Amino acid sequence: MLTGVDQGASRGGMTTVRTATMAGLVLMLGACVQVQAPERPIEINLNVNVRQEVLLRLERDAEAIIEENPELFPQ
Amino acid sequence: MTRLSTIVLAAGAAAGLALVAMPAAAQESGAVRAAIAAGTVGEKADGYLGIRGQVSGAVRAEVDSINIRRRAVYTERVAGRPVSVEQMAAAIGCRTLATRVQPGHAYQSDDGTWRVRGEGDPPPTAANCPAL
Repeated sequence: MLTGVDQGASRGGMTTVRTATMAGLVLMLGACVQVQAPERPIEINLNVNVRQEVLLRLERDAEAIIEENPELFPQ
Repeated sequence: MTRLSTIVLAAGAAAGLALVAMPAAAQESGAVRAAIAAGTVGEKADGYLGIRGQVSGAVRAEVDSINIRRRAVYTERVAGRPVSVEQMAAAIGCRTLATRVQPGHAYQSDDGTWRVRGEGDPPPTAANCPAL
């Protein structure tokens, strides 16, 4: 009788251990942080406006384009 | 025989096209010039020509053609440089507004509105344009 009870208890213990192990495994898998490199580089859109310094740098190019292509700049 | 006639036909077609295309282009740019003087076509701050109001199909086609060729020139100019086509075009816009728009001519400022330069008005400019 006692042995049977012990056996039952130990069986119950085994099940508990098994359940705990399974739960632990599931938890461990779930806790895995998946680090994935983004497919595209992160883009930071700063000011989209064309800034004055850029326009200043392109002043000579603009002048040359107009001079070299008079047919495109009728007046 | 067939090859020869094809060549003759192609040559004839090319000659015909050249004859037709040349005067048409000359006429069209004259029409665009007249439209600019009339204020129905004008320079835009974005570096392209724009249409303001009613224009003929020929003028519209020539404006489109000029803008396509402008874009090609801007694109070629910035190739291999850390400059966008839009930036190059905006620099052109600064220059065309400042040097091309005469009193009575229409222009589109960078906020998108069309204006006419009045008599005695200083040359127009756009935001961010360097002082000339």
